[in-house]
Amino acid sequence: MAEAMTVRPDVRFIHEVLKSGGGDLKKCYQCATCSVVCTLSEEDRPFPRKQMVEAQWGLKERVLTDPAVWLCHNCGDCSTRCPRGARPGDVFGALRNQAIQHFAFPGFVGRLAARPAGLVVLLLIPALLFGAMASLSPAQQDEVLEFAARFPIPWLEALFFTVAGLVVLGFGVSLTRFVKGLRAHGATGNILSGLVPALVEILLHKRFQECGKEKNRYWGHLLTLWGFAGLAFMGTVVGMGTMAGFMHTPLPFLDPSRPVESFFKIFANVCAAVILVGLGILLVDRLGDPDKRKNSTYFDWLFLLCLTAVVFTGIASQFLRLMAAEPVMYGVYYVHLVLIFVLFLFAPYTKFAHMVYRTVALAAAGKK
Amino acid sequence: MDKKIGVYLCSGCGIGDALDVEKLAKVAEKECKAPVVKVHPFLCGAEGTALIRKDLEEGVNALVLGACSPRVKTEAFSFDPRMVLCRVNLREHVAWCHKPKDEDTQMLAEDYLRMGVVQAQKAEPLEPVSDPVSKAILVVGGGVTGITAALEAAAAGYEVVLVEKQNRLGGFLAGVKRGYPQAPPYVGLTPEEVAQKIQEVSYHPKVKVYTSAKILKTSGQPGMFDVSLDVGGREVTERVGAIVMATGWKPYDAAKLVHLGYGLSPDVVTNVEMERMLGEGALKRPSDGKAVESVLFVQCAGSRDKDHLPYCSSVCCMATLKHAALVHEQNADAKVFIVYKDMRTPGPYERFYREAQDHPLNFLTKGEVASVEKTPSGKLRVTVMNTLLGEAVALEVDLVVLAAGMVPNAADGEAIRALEDAKVKAVKGDTEGQRAEAAKKAEELKAHEGTEILNLTYRQGPDLPVLRYGFPDSHFVCFPYETRRTGIYAAGCVRAPMDTSHAREDAAGAAMKAIQCVELASRGQAVHPRAGDLSFPSFFLQRCTQCKRCTEECPFGTLDEDEKGTPKPNPYRCRRCGICMGACPERIISFKNYSVDMIASMIKAIEVPPEEDEKPRVLVFMCENDAYPALDVAGLNRVTYDPNVRVIPLRCLGSMNIVWIADALSGGIDGVMLVGCKYGDDYQCHFVRGSELANRRLENVKETLQRLQLESERIEVHQLAIHEYGKLPGLIDAFMEKIREMGPNPYKGF
Repeated sequence: MAEAMTVRPDVRFIHEVLKSGGGDLKKCYQCATCSVVCTLSEEDRPFPRKQMVEAQWGLKERVLTDPAVWLCHNCGDCSTRCPRGARPGDVFGALRNQAIQHFAFPGFVGRLAARPAGLVVLLLIPALLFGAMASLSPAQQDEVLEFAARFPIPWLEALFFTVAGLVVLGFGVSLTRFVKGLRAHGATGNILSGLVPALVEILLHKRFQECGKEKNRYWGHLLTLWGFAGLAFMGTVVGMGTMAGFMHTPLPFLDPSRPVESFFKIFANVCAAVILVGLGILLVDRLGDPDKRKNSTYFDWLFLLCLTAVVFTGIASQFLRLMAAEPVMYGVYYVHLVLIFVLFLFAPYTKFAHMVYRTVALAAAGKK
Repeated sequence: MDKKIGVYLCSGCGIGDALDVEKLAKVAEKECKAPVVKVHPFLCGAEGTALIRKDLEEGVNALVLGACSPRVKTEAFSFDPRMVLCRVNLREHVAWCHKPKDEDTQMLAEDYLRMGVVQAQKAEPLEPVSDPVSKAILVVGGGVTGITAALEAAAAGYEVVLVEKQNRLGGFLAGVKRGYPQAPPYVGLTPEEVAQKIQEVSYHPKVKVYTSAKILKTSGQPGMFDVSLDVGGREVTERVGAIVMATGWKPYDAAKLVHLGYGLSPDVVTNVEMERMLGEGALKRPSDGKAVESVLFVQCAGSRDKDHLPYCSSVCCMATLKHAALVHEQNADAKVFIVYKDMRTPGPYERFYREAQDHPLNFLTKGEVASVEKTPSGKLRVTVMNTLLGEAVALEVDLVVLAAGMVPNAADGEAIRALEDAKVKAVKGDTEGQRAEAAKKAEELKAHEGTEILNLTYRQGPDLPVLRYGFPDSHFVCFPYETRRTGIYAAGCVRAPMDTSHAREDAAGAAMKAIQCVELASRGQAVHPRAGDLSFPSFFLQRCTQCKRCTEECPFGTLDEDEKGTPKPNPYRCRRCGICMGACPERIISFKNYSVDMIASMIKAIEVPPEEDEKPRVLVFMCENDAYPALDVAGLNRVTYDPNVRVIPLRCLGSMNIVWIADALSGGIDGVMLVGCKYGDDYQCHFVRGSELANRRLENVKETLQRLQLESERIEVHQLAIHEYGKLPGLIDAFMEKIREMGPNPYKGF
């Protein structure tokens, strides 16, 4: 007789999953319809049926270190076909949220980010920082209206590089824990060599394309990802370019004498438009389906709405500046900065982190 | 009064197209010498029946109707039920299944007509009986089934005597406070309402309740059972007409569940013990009184298990789900594990199951419990194999509940009788060996000592005969509530494991059967399956040799015995199957309208053509419950078969007397085929053992054949269910083929 695994259900974990989007978890009666429809399911590894029963039984450690949880792209086929309405797709969303919180370093920030009450703290930090920045910055009276007048670029860059450092630290420790868990679970893939195919897959959204039920989400997620990547790249380049002195904000739209800066300006606006369309699709998708709406949690909304608000305030800031709507433009830009700060500093603790976890899990899983 | 036979032939429904009806009429007139012979094209119509009724008024007092199957048009052809009425099946068995206007078909019809007229000649009109009959109903057992049966019968206007062994009514449910839902929306727990029913039955003017009572003796027969009761030391006698046995169930003996940890620790309990513990207030570990934080239920504990109870008790799954809900109600953080083979929550109970599945702290898995051990911390470690988690799992819990099944609270009447016989023989046996063997048998049957419930004064034993697993039922699918003692109906868990809602339905059903029984008895009629039959068997006892075959073989315990072993009939217990008639070697048992002589004369009425005609004759005895209607259906489907067969329906194949086979074969009939019902464990015989007994009697027939120097292959027996009508013509044709190959019966022409 094989040694029996002693099972002690983690009751708290079960309740957390039920609360964080997996409200139908317990309905699963292991019929395996989901495993039949899911392209990820293998003969000896019934997916997602197995993870469902493990989650039902509160086997927290086992289920949260399972790379398969991240292989799921929430195509929704299982949820549509489930005869009992257990919505495995949504449960997996909840499991991913749980994993991010579980591995978060430091843990208390993870807990803070997961609760609506923590939002006050999340917002208060950047609100105070940028408030202080605006009031302390040397008053300049240029003929061109420019945000840097109130929020000097060197200050911002210094701040965001600090944030980046903290984010790297947070992710570093979290992911170390995560990878340790994955290894204990039996994932043997080489992460470094697996990274390139994983990134290619993520950038091309190959798996998303296979989603039967959720064709819209392919476009929504793809556009959001690409738009976001473009904007993040732009923000970093322009910030560093300004610091180095070969760029001058505000960048001109169409100035033949400054072709590089004009290109960046146009590129940034295109990216903003792309991400806006992507986010629009994702929002409509989430709000349009009553079941999905029901199972969407604070954790989901925080990330999605924060990102949307960042894009909106960014675009609004630009137009207000062009309209010379002083001082409203500074206010909106202030909000823009606060939200960017929240988005980035708390990336390892919010749904933002799924980008990183999924990449690592795909690489570590060692399979296609 | 002299018999004046009227023969009426119908030429409708294709009979006239297939047969020369006028020629048939001549056979009746000239050959059978019937005083009245008439042909009508639509005999069952108003004009046809008016024709018959007119003749009846003018002196005809026995009818032979050559028309359709006796199973149809019974309303059109219903006359005085005591009068002789023979239906000759010219439609389903002749016109519809044989070549029209053919010599063989015509010969078949003529033979059937001859047989019908002979039958009418041999049958006698039935005489009315007028015994005073009690219509009161005795209900044994005051649980939910008994109470419901009593209330239902009382509501229908019948006096009821309700007898309960304990000092209070309510049975198992009296100790149950909450039940699982039995009405829409089938979620949440409901208060148990048996208390209200106890009140109702206790004060019902038509119900006499005896508690702390047991039955000392039940004698008599339907309509006149005399029941002596010991009611707390006082003897009371009641006369009743029918009995509903609702003695319920007892839990399966948990001492046999050692492999599931029973006895290992006080913290391993049965579901019945759990019910009591939950009713007593806060759930505690029996071993040390600590609060229970986790419970593991083992479903099918000793059920659906070949080493224990092979059957499903149908209630344990729902009971466990209820217990889980009660555990959570007491302690919201308690974990409940349920290990099952299959969860069985039929019909709308599925909704309650779903509710349980949805509870965050219910953990359900298919699996097999491999071991239960004590841990140093005082918990119980249960190892479960083949779980839904894909591997063996060990769970540490405070309490293990074994969901054990139900065992009927019945006594095996035949075993008790066998025990008594063995005990007598152990002392009075002729040889040392016989005495030793009897003593061994008595030892084997010792468990039945003192288990009597009804204490019947029947020759075949003091309680109901039981089927597999000890349930005293007759045939639970086809004839629910019927037992093998006429007028005694089993209901509730003594009949089959069931829950309260099913038991209430069962009680109403059995009460209806009991009412039917007393009403039929009051008119001298048989109960199921020959409901309404007015014939009674008569015994010409002067010639009885006390062989006891009839008293032993009657499936319904109709016949008692005097000291010498002469049968003492109790006609109201009789179901008129005629098995005793088939059993009797002296042929002294007969009915006025069904006798050994009558069938033998019918066989003789068959014209056996001489050998050179190459027209073999095969006689088929068919059970009229399954095989005969199956042949009707074959006719309805216009399936053709060999026209050289002659079918005689029997009340039950068990009523076949082997003298008929000897008569047939010595009269030149080439072969005899017997078609009865399926017998054995899943028997379909309407009279329980008739088909089986007929088969056993055939063993003796071989001897007869040897004496006649005939091949034993000239006799064939088949078991056939009513839906197998498609097979029947094939069976007949195959047998005919075999007979042709074997060649003609050498006794032809003797």
